[in-house]
Amino acid sequence: MSFVEIKKLVKSFGPEVAVAGIDLSVEQGEFVTLLGPSGCGKTTTLRCIAGLEHPDSGDIQIEGDYVTSVANEVFLTPEERNLGMVFQSYAVWPHMTVFDNVAYGLRIRRETRAAIKEKTTNALNLVGLGHLAERYATKLSGGQRQRVALARAIVYNPKVVLFDEPLSNLDAKLREQMRIELTRLQHDVGITSIYVTHDQTEALVMSDRVVVMDKGVIQQIGDPETIYAEPTNAFVANFIGVANLLEGKLLGHDGELTDIEIPIGDGSPSIRLRATGAEGAPVGAKIILSIRPEDILLHLEKPAEAMNLFEGEVIDTVYLGNFLDCQVQVGPHEVGVQIDHFEELETGQKVYLSFTPDHGLCLTE
Amino acid sequence: MATDTAAPQIDVAPPRGWRTWFTQENIITTIVGLIVAVAVIVPLVALVINSFLVLDDLGFDTEWGLQNYRDIFQGRVIKKALINTAIISTGCTILATLLGVSLAWINARTNCPFREQLEPFNLIPFFLSPFVGAIAWHNLASPKVGLLNNMAKSAFGIDFPLFNVNNLWGVIWVTGIFFAPLVYLFVVGSLRRMDPSLEDSARTTGAGLLRTTFTITLPLVTPAILSGAIIVFVTTAGEFGVPFKLSAPFGWETLTTQIFTKAVGDDANHYLGAAMSMVVGVVTAFFIWIQHRIIAPRSYTTVTGKGFRPNLIDLGGWKWLAFAYNVFYVCVAVVLPIICLFFVSLHKIWSGRIIWSELTFWNYQKVLFFWWPESIDAATNGIINSFILAFGGASIAMVVAIIVSYMIHRTKGYGARVLDFLSVIPIGFPGIVLAMGVLVTYIKTPIYATLWILLLGYITRFFPYGQRNISSIMMAVSEELDQSSRMAGATWLTTLRRITIPLLKPGIFAGWILLFVIFLRELSISIILYSAGTETLSVGVYYLSNFENEPMTSALSIAQTVALLICVVIFRKVAGKEALTA
Ligand SMILES: Nc1ncnc2c1ncn2[C@@H]1O[C@H](COP(=O)(O)OP(=O)(O)O)[C@@H](O)[C@H]1O
Ligand SMILES: [Mg+2]
Repeated sequence: MSFVEIKKLVKSFGPEVAVAGIDLSVEQGEFVTLLGPSGCGKTTTLRCIAGLEHPDSGDIQIEGDYVTSVANEVFLTPEERNLGMVFQSYAVWPHMTVFDNVAYGLRIRRETRAAIKEKTTNALNLVGLGHLAERYATKLSGGQRQRVALARAIVYNPKVVLFDEPLSNLDAKLREQMRIELTRLQHDVGITSIYVTHDQTEALVMSDRVVVMDKGVIQQIGDPETIYAEPTNAFVANFIGVANLLEGKLLGHDGELTDIEIPIGDGSPSIRLRATGAEGAPVGAKIILSIRPEDILLHLEKPAEAMNLFEGEVIDTVYLGNFLDCQVQVGPHEVGVQIDHFEELETGQKVYLSFTPDHGLCLTE
Repeated sequence: MATDTAAPQIDVAPPRGWRTWFTQENIITTIVGLIVAVAVIVPLVALVINSFLVLDDLGFDTEWGLQNYRDIFQGRVIKKALINTAIISTGCTILATLLGVSLAWINARTNCPFREQLEPFNLIPFFLSPFVGAIAWHNLASPKVGLLNNMAKSAFGIDFPLFNVNNLWGVIWVTGIFFAPLVYLFVVGSLRRMDPSLEDSARTTGAGLLRTTFTITLPLVTPAILSGAIIVFVTTAGEFGVPFKLSAPFGWETLTTQIFTKAVGDDANHYLGAAMSMVVGVVTAFFIWIQHRIIAPRSYTTVTGKGFRPNLIDLGGWKWLAFAYNVFYVCVAVVLPIICLFFVSLHKIWSGRIIWSELTFWNYQKVLFFWWPESIDAATNGIINSFILAFGGASIAMVVAIIVSYMIHRTKGYGARVLDFLSVIPIGFPGIVLAMGVLVTYIKTPIYATLWILLLGYITRFFPYGQRNISSIMMAVSEELDQSSRMAGATWLTTLRRITIPLLKPGIFAGWILLFVIFLRELSISIILYSAGTETLSVGVYYLSNFENEPMTSALSIAQTVALLICVVIFRKVAGKEALTA
């Protein structure tokens, strides 16, 4: 039994199904991220865990105890669950000082005056706000408010801390800095965390495990490397990176490798390629080939020998700092290629692309 | 810029001089600004001056002195009136705040049944006349002719009066229920727009529902509550009609009823009246200053960006109690008074009981049929005059409001700040105080005893209400829309007519109707400034109440109430639901 167990969670708002049957388990001390586009049901899932929403069906257990079980009519109110939550809008109370904000949960728990003072001060020092304890929350910057919210959520040592896009209201630089601090803090404190974000970078660098969601359904669960390198379907591949997705047909299996063909229309012959994945799929099945831009090689001349070679026409190039982002027209497809050495490329120029089979991943719908 | 003068440059700058100042914009705004300044400042200055003039015993000559103020604080009658005013204002503020906050909370934040249908009814008293409310409650709950008392007597055999509103409690009750919507309007917006995660985070931190409500929700709306409470306090201190009807005839005078006796009648002493007005005005202006300078800037910005409604609290079985409470309020503030007035108005003589066999519309003929020789002039004049004043006053006040708002928000500098200040001042002074100032200023001029002096009093006192309506929109509409019209070659007036005003149209309509309503029921300015022939609707009601009888009074009250209710419906259509909330 995991520390947090979610089973068959469903929640609708009127006709709209926000969460459509989610199963998830989180181990003690783990940092799990729910990742998905806006409106996919991440916040709703988190609020169900917090007890801020009543799910339509499903169970949630924390430390083996049911906190929500629709079938058994169990529902603990948020204050009975002993969790911490950090909200997107910080939700720092403007009518209290920083100290009072953080001490709120301790006072409710009827800790002694001395304990409140000590724990609050510790928590504030942990987030680097010790010197601002007496300041009113209205006089804080966005980053400082977020730290107050964080200290407030962890100070009473909750079982789980829930984060709902805590960094999304910060500017890019501050977000980067807070992300590093948050990761460090989570490591130091070792608190079980469920983190919601729509930012794949955030999810990939911070988490022990990533849960990719779309339309209220989990698409894939795995550690960041797996999610990045081996997306199990087109949605994940597309959402996690700027992968090229080319539609095609499965021709056959050859050991580890898979033979496919990608039609490029206009009566031209289809491109035949070898890639990996789609092991179970039958011959003739529709597949989607996913290749990351940085895995494609670009050649100005036709190379003597190269696997998976096909040709295209440069339609656009953009310099992005230390690499070149190049769009190549291949039949009806636009294929993005990233090259880290500088090439003199002109629009309309004919180029050759190739990739090794282990970089091409076949996904079934 | 120093290099400009040092460099041997030749006239590249446009010619500067007094001629260039005379633009449409500068001329019109300056004229309006000066008119506003004169209209607002002169009566107040006159009030101050007159308050230090002491009338001699014969009542002919005056000399400078502080005797008026001594009379107020030492004379028995006036001192008692001062104390009564303080008691009423405090009591009403407490009652209206409790009612307003609880109703706002129920409607905005709980699952009380039918709360959306009840809300417009909760706001109706805001549009009606408290004076008429007092008349209604007099007929409902005065010891002798009170309908409720008599019903209790015949139903349960209670032979002592169950209720008695002819005292300070009655005044507190009626003003409290009528001014509750003021607090409501201040609070409900903050409650509705509050970021729900402020409360959610208290819940996840471990606070229960009640604790969250009392440590997070209410403290966050406290500035709004205080603002509403102060407005109620000030409004009550200046309220004339309710104490005049309910308590003054029974020995409970207030400062306003005393000011009234000093303004008109045999006992008139404008100088003493001016001094009493000064006392009221200084207190109310001080409170409004506190509200503007100290409380309003402290309100918390808790507005959420997300469109989702804030958490509704599930009251469980208690929701029916909340519903009953809400319905009770609507009954005592709207339904009962109107029904009672209606029945009273159908009798020739009111004895505290409905006599079904003798119902008649005769009173309505007496007070409404202005073409009928036997109709009562004070009533019929009042109807015609009030519609003229309301229509003309609202129109002129809105024009002033637009130009003043334009000056405040679209021209920078000293003039804008002075005008901003000038348009707060009238809010700080109750109608009766300002009217006293207008009276002593213009009593010796030809506009005295005409409708013009009433119009002047109305506009001076109430144009800030329209101005606030316009200003809030003008702040939201980009200045660049005006400027691009000017760039395209339009004159200032054309821009105002073709761009600015069309953009402000909804606000202008809403403000106009609001002022129309205020003017249609206005009593405390009118009662000081009217004379025979220039009665207004409320003065007509006053006249009937004083010199005729309750049924006739009720008939005119019902007529006024119906007109006001029609305005409410139109207002809601034009301005939408959120229009009044702070
Ligand atoms: N309180 C609510 N009322 C109505 N619809 C809601 C509410 N909360 C969420 N939804 C809807 O449920 C879906 C999922 O929302 P949410 O969980 O907030 O998504 P995410 O956090 O992934 O952006 C959205 O389509 C949203 O419109
Ligand atoms: Mg969300």
